[in-house]
Amino acid sequence: MSIALFLSVFLIAACGLIYELIAGTLASYLLGDTVFQFSTIIGCYLFAMGIGSYLSRFLHRGLVARFVSVELMVGVIGGFSSSLLFLAFAYTEAFRFVLYAVVILVGTLVGLEIPLLMRILKERFQFRELVSQVLTFDYLGALGASLLFPILLVPKLGLVRSALVFGIFNVGVALWSTYLFREQIARTRSLRAGCFVVLALLGTAITFADDISNAADNSLYADQVIFSRTTPYQRIVLTKWKDDLRLFLNSHLQFSSRDEYRYHEALVHPGLAALPGARRVLVMGGGDGLAVREILKYPTVQSVTLVDLDPEMTHLFSTHPVMSALNRHSLTNPRVHVINADAFRWLDTNTEQYDFIVADFPDPTSYALGKLFTTAFYRLAAKHLASGGLIVVQSTSPLFARKSYWCIVDSVKQAGLRVYPYHVYVPSFGEWGFVIGSFAPYEPPHQLPAGLRFLSTRNVAELFVFPVDMQPVPAEPNRLNDQVLVRYYEEEWKDVAH
Amino acid sequence: MTRRQFVAAPALVGLWRKTDRPITGGFVNDSSPLGHRLRDHSAFRPPARQVRIPVVIVGGGMAGLNAAWHLDKRGFHDFVLLEMEQRAGGNSRWGENEISKFPWAAHYVPVPPKGESLARELFEEFGVFRDGKWDERVLCFDPQERLFINGHWQEGIEPDDGASAGDRGQFRRFQQMINDFRATGQFTVPMDRGLNPSALDQLSMADWLSQRRFDSTPLRWYINYTCRDDYGTLAKNTSAWAGIQYFASRESEEKGPLTWPEGNGWIAARLIEKLKRYLRTGEVVYRVVHSGAKVRVLTEQTEYIADAVIWAAPTFLASYIIEGAPRAEGFQYSPWLTANLTLDRIPSQNNPEPAWDNVVYDSPTLGYVNATHMTLATHIEKTVWTFYWSLAEYTPADARRLLLAKDWNYWKEAILNDLARAHPDIRQCVAHMDIMRIGHAMARPAPGFIFSEERTRWQKPLGNIFFANSDLSGFSIFEEAQYRGVEAAKRAQRLVSQA
Repeated sequence: MSIALFLSVFLIAACGLIYELIAGTLASYLLGDTVFQFSTIIGCYLFAMGIGSYLSRFLHRGLVARFVSVELMVGVIGGFSSSLLFLAFAYTEAFRFVLYAVVILVGTLVGLEIPLLMRILKERFQFRELVSQVLTFDYLGALGASLLFPILLVPKLGLVRSALVFGIFNVGVALWSTYLFREQIARTRSLRAGCFVVLALLGTAITFADDISNAADNSLYADQVIFSRTTPYQRIVLTKWKDDLRLFLNSHLQFSSRDEYRYHEALVHPGLAALPGARRVLVMGGGDGLAVREILKYPTVQSVTLVDLDPEMTHLFSTHPVMSALNRHSLTNPRVHVINADAFRWLDTNTEQYDFIVADFPDPTSYALGKLFTTAFYRLAAKHLASGGLIVVQSTSPLFARKSYWCIVDSVKQAGLRVYPYHVYVPSFGEWGFVIGSFAPYEPPHQLPAGLRFLSTRNVAELFVFPVDMQPVPAEPNRLNDQVLVRYYEEEWKDVAH
Repeated sequence: MTRRQFVAAPALVGLWRKTDRPITGGFVNDSSPLGHRLRDHSAFRPPARQVRIPVVIVGGGMAGLNAAWHLDKRGFHDFVLLEMEQRAGGNSRWGENEISKFPWAAHYVPVPPKGESLARELFEEFGVFRDGKWDERVLCFDPQERLFINGHWQEGIEPDDGASAGDRGQFRRFQQMINDFRATGQFTVPMDRGLNPSALDQLSMADWLSQRRFDSTPLRWYINYTCRDDYGTLAKNTSAWAGIQYFASRESEEKGPLTWPEGNGWIAARLIEKLKRYLRTGEVVYRVVHSGAKVRVLTEQTEYIADAVIWAAPTFLASYIIEGAPRAEGFQYSPWLTANLTLDRIPSQNNPEPAWDNVVYDSPTLGYVNATHMTLATHIEKTVWTFYWSLAEYTPADARRLLLAKDWNYWKEAILNDLARAHPDIRQCVAHMDIMRIGHAMARPAPGFIFSEERTRWQKPLGNIFFANSDLSGFSIFEEAQYRGVEAAKRAQRLVSQA
């Protein structure tokens, strides 16, 4: 009997700590600044427990029934805490309010548990023994939870499921109490019914846990989110941490303002600087206007056509003060024409020729996006190249996704173009790859526009040198009817966190 | 963080939207009233004028169109092609709405391998086969097929999810046997080329599987599916020769098949455009009579006095229309139901991505084909699905009765219920559903039919009438229709030039 009792103390203590850890972890995940989040959450939680302990003095009669009700409430609120927080972050603007409300509510209820339990048990044990045992098991429970949480719960169950499982433990304790103390309670049946209802709720939720975290995990960003919008095409998220702006599309990092110049200088200048007579330029993808910013550094370029699928994206980068400052108002430049269209389809119906074509698409994470990296696409693009013109293709990382990279290079080649692969180091991305395609032999430029921060006539030729660990590997070309690239890419990026 | 699919949000929204939206639509392209008038020898108006013409082609499906294609190509222009519907195309007819073109029946052609010179010639002419290479844009885009099994989608139609080592072993053994059959050179497209009397035709595919100790449930489901899909019959009602022909007749060097948003309507449209000067649509041939060395072909508009007739309509119709033609004994046809569903929202789904052909395991239907799969666009918000149902579990006569007895609402609900197994939110996505009932859609290669006297006798002409429908091969596929059409055209032209 006494062991059973103290085991419940162990369990409720573990549950209480788990909810606190979950709130802290979630807040650091979603809002960043771990030290701040954990400090404030632990502070609030302990303070709320104090409120609970204080409030316990106002409960007089029917202590067991009250204890069972408290357990049920902790089970529900604590159990659903992480689901609620994830969804609040994904779909509301009031995440912090929900976060601290949950912490204070759970803390208050947990603060009620031990005082109530000690009062229920005071008839059965000597005071000295009671305090010693209860507090011992309370601290043991805390130790168990704090070890279990990082080693087992987060990696194996995830935050949503862990909370639900511990909610079930709380309800288990409640249910058990209705049997242990059955002579001390009047409404056993209704309390038990309540327990079963909550158990069913939590059990059902466990089966849907994946959906809940999927619904919310697109919103998991380390930094402060300053803009987020779900368009019919994608989820656009901008984050800011100190002076670092980051753009995410469907949770894939597109650039960091600290080092995007490396990427965009390398994307544009090796090709365009080698075409002194270039007048007409086409950019596909790249709705952030950063590649266009680089292109506008050439006074000879008369027109830049930017084709990006998402009007919200080009609107944001035309009008948002911070974003348009970053691309130096490139999208509102009179030389630039912005077209919102699906690039492959648009190119198929268009008959214009261009001196320089930039294909700056998101990585081939799906068969839909993979179409933009096929031999059929490059063949079509080649038809739009003026004689002597060049195309440059963003081609994922030759280091992390070596086979994918060389697959893209080979696909450009299969379209009947000479290929000139090169790469650059971008700290926020790692090693990144590009490929230039052309009909005529190409040579790296001997002159570059003034004011570049990364490229110089001294280092531009070095980009075309591949160290041993990035050199060509055999890969099939990517074709519409056999998109090997999407399979290579998924395989290669599976284990790389980004 | 790897590929993330934003799945739960629409599902959560779906929970609140309980009420089903109204779905518009109805039956379309019903040809049964006209068919029944022909069968019952109802009164037709006598033709107002008489035209003398060397060759008349009856029926504007693939056989008739290809007969015309052949004649035109050989510089023979003195013929007409009569089609009873307002538009030619037959089983390759297609439709179009504001979202996409879509097929009404045949929707693909396996990539023709080297031996299929006729099909290659046609596709070369249409510019999709050049210098020995196929245009990537008409080869079915990746991912081609998926199967809903055990509560989720797997890539490919061969059931692999939940398959045991024993099942996989049987799949491998089956493939090995098919390779051996292929090596005999007796299973070819067109089938006439390699045909050699075979005892396999006396067995049903199901019996042959049992004899060879193929008892794996997923394997037998798969083979039954292929019989339902290609012939509209269950494996137990399909000749084992035909069941094997499906697998053993082709080995393509290119990943395919060839397909277009409007299915084989793409081929039909090109043939119609090229041959429109010969085409007379809306002309119902209600009587064909030999008269001396000539054949009189009667429609309500015109009486054609021809030297030769190419009968490209289904062979079973001959006895109702051609004077003196015997009944086409042994010819059986599967009735089909196809539906085109307009979706103004894509159902939420997990990986893998929607494929071109989407099949539900253990469903009596054949699943659906996505018309917008062959788009170059990366982003699709609305689409059209073509849903296929061959009603194979009934006898053809029972299935035809059922098709006519039940109203549109009944079939609509049946289709939605079937799809809801894989797409729980389907009712929130479908705005419109047109349903087409085809009473005699495809020839059925029942056991014994391929090598029967009944089938081969129709390959001989009846006087100056040459038969050309694909049902002469025992099953209805594009390549057989093309081959039969071209063969009949050659013979008709020979007869005319001798005269």
